[in-house]
Amino acid sequence: MSEIVRMVVVLSLIAGICSAVLTMANQGLAPQIEKQTDLYVRGPALERLFDKPAREVLNNKVIIDAGDSEIPVFYLKDGENVSTLAIEATGKGGYGGDLTLMIGIDLVSSRQTGMEVVSHSETPGLGARIEEPGFRRQWQGLPTEQEVALTGNGGQIDAISGATTTSRAAVGGTNEALLFLQNHKEEILKSISEIEEKS
Amino acid sequence: MTQNLKLTLTAGLWKRVPPFRLVLGLCPALAITTSAVNGLGMGLALAFVVTMSNGIISALRNVIPGKVRIASYIVIIATLVSIVEILMKAYFFPLSEQLGIYIPLIVVNCIVLGRAEGFASKNPPLPSMVDGVSIGLGYTISLTLIGTIREVLGAGSWFGHAVFHESFEPLSFMVSAPGAFVTIGVLLGLQNLFSRWRGEKFIQG
Repeated sequence: MSEIVRMVVVLSLIAGICSAVLTMANQGLAPQIEKQTDLYVRGPALERLFDKPAREVLNNKVIIDAGDSEIPVFYLKDGENVSTLAIEATGKGGYGGDLTLMIGIDLVSSRQTGMEVVSHSETPGLGARIEEPGFRRQWQGLPTEQEVALTGNGGQIDAISGATTTSRAAVGGTNEALLFLQNHKEEILKSISEIEEKS
Repeated sequence: MTQNLKLTLTAGLWKRVPPFRLVLGLCPALAITTSAVNGLGMGLALAFVVTMSNGIISALRNVIPGKVRIASYIVIIATLVSIVEILMKAYFFPLSEQLGIYIPLIVVNCIVLGRAEGFASKNPPLPSMVDGVSIGLGYTISLTLIGTIREVLGAGSWFGHAVFHESFEPLSFMVSAPGAFVTIGVLLGLQNLFSRWRGEKFIQG
């Protein structure tokens, strides 16, 4: 009997201590991991959207609480005013899972500056072609007040042939970002000015 | 005592060198050694895990009941591997993307479990840690060597720096799976040939 008790106690103790150590490591290093993810995963998309080295814009980041999720927003200032935003959005229902997108918004002219793909797991040669400039370029100059849609639904975006699902997910993600912008614009600008005051 | 430690330390570099003499840990040795830096990163990650796990397991060897020892070892090893994974994500992000699933897979790496069961559970902490360092170093050197051969021949570079003139046409098969088998096979054969020539007594495996 005591043998069994000892086994249970020792194994539970080991497992408990291990979980404690892991939790500590995970929480302690979370900010550092977030920074690295920003630099290596979001960095390339931001670089293309803002046309600036990623390191310059990575610190211009606010995280907005949108009810059920937290949405990272990057910004760029032109003098005193915030000129450009990059809003992260999730394109739900891609062929190989959700897409992570970054939508560029020009606040001065109220137009989109582009759509960038942060990460995806679409089929190479079909859905993965959302990364190609030819497809992404279609977002440039679209108004921010109006929803985007595929040409088949009377919209402006030509779907990638053979990858309608992926194109639809990208469009859906964009609309989510635009809706988020409409509902939270004040909040975004407020958080940005708070951050700017601090630094 | 010091004599024994020295023997343990050098054993991992030749007599027990993991991918060749022990023929353990072949899965990462085949899969990630497409470049020297990957081999080095994988080797160092494993060296850290095997050293720490040997130390901890050996310190607890009289506490852990025999019937649940493997389960306890796995929990300890898995914790160490997760710590390595978190550290890599935090400080060497591109490398951790490259090594991908092979870092978490160190948990079921036969070298780590083999050293825990075969050495650390029977010896005091200091020799066990020395054994871990030696096996880890041996593995690191071997993986870096395999990675070097494959990268130099297959991509014409070493640690990312070009080593050949531009006219060199890389043997791209060296950086794909068959190249790994050929490289490891040839190195294993050379080591055995050398040992036989020197009249060393050795048992493969």
